Amino acid sequence: MVKMENCRRRLGPGVEFFCEQFEAPAGAQMALWGPSGCGKTTMLNLISGLLRPDEGLISVDGVETPKLSEGQLDRFRGERFGFIFQTFNLLAPFSALQNVMLGMRFSDTAPSSEWKPRATALLQRVGLERRLHSKPATMSVGERQRVAIARALANKQKIVVADEPTGSLDPKNAAAVMDLLLEMCREEKVTLLLVTHAHELAECLETCFDCSALIREVSS
Amino acid sequence: MSLWRIAWGYLWNRKLTTSLTVLSVALSVGLIYSVLTLREETRKRFKEEGQFFDVVVGAKGSPLQLTLSALYFMDVPTGNIKLSDYEAIKKHEDVAAAYPICMGDTYHGYRMVGTIPELFDYTWTRASTGEERKPFKLAQGSVFKKSMEAVLGSAVARTEGLKLGDTFIGAHGYIELPPGMAVEDHSKFPYTVAGIMAPSGTPNDRAIFCTMDSVWEVHGQHEEAESQQEGERQKEASSMVTAVLVSLESPALSFEFVEYVNDTFNAMATRPIEQIAKLYDSILATAKSVLLAVGYLVVAISAISILIGLYLSIIQRKRDLAIMRALGASAYEIVGSVLIEAFLVTALGIVAGWLIGNLVAWTVGLYLQYRYGLTIGIFGMLTTEEIAAFSTVGLVGFVAGIVPAWQAYRTDVARDLAEP
Repeated sequence: MVKMENCRRRLGPGVEFFCEQFEAPAGAQMALWGPSGCGKTTMLNLISGLLRPDEGLISVDGVETPKLSEGQLDRFRGERFGFIFQTFNLLAPFSALQNVMLGMRFSDTAPSSEWKPRATALLQRVGLERRLHSKPATMSVGERQRVAIARALANKQKIVVADEPTGSLDPKNAAAVMDLLLEMCREEKVTLLLVTHAHELAECLETCFDCSALIREVSS
Repeated sequence: MSLWRIAWGYLWNRKLTTSLTVLSVALSVGLIYSVLTLREETRKRFKEEGQFFDVVVGAKGSPLQLTLSALYFMDVPTGNIKLSDYEAIKKHEDVAAAYPICMGDTYHGYRMVGTIPELFDYTWTRASTGEERKPFKLAQGSVFKKSMEAVLGSAVARTEGLKLGDTFIGAHGYIELPPGMAVEDHSKFPYTVAGIMAPSGTPNDRAIFCTMDSVWEVHGQHEEAESQQEGERQKEASSMVTAVLVSLESPALSFEFVEYVNDTFNAMATRPIEQIAKLYDSILATAKSVLLAVGYLVVAISAISILIGLYLSIIQRKRDLAIMRALGASAYEIVGSVLIEAFLVTALGIVAGWLIGNLVAWTVGLYLQYRYGLTIGIFGMLTTEEIAAFSTVGLVGFVAGIVPAWQAYRTDVARDLAEP
């Protein structure tokens, strides 16, 4: 599903990201573990096409993403990837329902008539059937992360990338959100790449990729 | 979730900033629109008044002064001409109707006009459409039948609270004096209200009509109280009129007729429509240009406020734009949503400005009606000039949206998502 080979990206003077070999099969639930600043998020950004590599191969679902134009990459990202962030990144002016529908609006995966029923069903699935029309500012942090999970799966994406998804939650909410995320990814047969610096969280997933040696110094 | 819905969502999310930006656009549009409307409406009304009679004849002097005093009751008359000149003019083969007017007194600032009863039967026909108007139409009572009877313009009756049968006393001269100041009145000669005219939206609403005898009689009495020399002058005045309003068999004859009067009599003839056009082309056109320049300056300031408002909003929500990009929005969709925001702010400003402009025109119209009897139409069809002004404002608003849109286009998604 996701493949990375000899992938290089310059990050600043004398510093670069380099990944010799990475592979995540379809349907895998994989933790990208490492300490803060080790390049985990850079790796996620490269995989999802938010960053382009200076050289090397990145292949997602059989498509070499660095070869796509900017517009093609935007569309590809909208269709294949779902994002979950530590700070939720919901859009403040819009309700929970609208935030999930926005995930569908920018891709061609479903006709517009299906947006609302699918968004409603997903929000019901994450236990927010009574909060459909609530704005993010009026919701708890746990509820906001549930909306983010629903949004990440709105397009029946093949890959969900989650960057420290429980980092802003208390232990009880974190466990509940994590359980929900793993369960839903299994149900939807989605590949999950989860970035974390916490060992205990990484151990919840089937496999773990050690990111601690991805950043290296080079001669400028 | 269309881009329009997304753009509206962001505008609604910062209601106060959006309202202030819309207000600044609206004020500039309102200023421009009210200037254009007032100018167009007053031009139309003045032109219409000017068209009621083909030629005005009066004492030699300023043709514009003669036109303004005889038709709009706005300026001091140029003097008097002989009654015999009026009679000669009336008999001319090109003349369809001629009405003498005598002026000299006022009542609480309203001009008192001596004339003949036939004036109230006068019907003006628009040559191009055949539309007919009676600018001196009665609503109540009858035309004056004898001396010291008066017919009031509708505004006079309304503001002074005068009814049929009531009496009032005029004052000598044309100047409206402040309350309490001594005026030379004609208290021995009270007028009785015989009729009240229908509102016409013309200066006639603010005039009082009576027989010419009344004017002469009042001033004849005046003579008794003054010296012998003054009395002689007043006696002479009784055989004079202030102006003659002339309707010709065809408006096309007016040029020739003006020449005839100027060559034949010790008087001056003028085409009122020509004088009004000159007035607009000189004084009022300059005033309009100055006000329009101010209006467009305000538009420029509004454009800057749109630019600043949108730019700050883009800076504040760089993360939101990055999220949308992460969700699959293309750079063009992001640019589109920002430009739509600029369009919505400008469009709302234009609509609000149009309403404000009409409100201003209506308010100024009330004053013009009170002061000069001119009615100003509001919520009318947009003129070419107004459409051009609105289009300019729309274009300026769109251009003001380009810079923030470009800023949004250059979103560095990974960096903006990483920022706290």
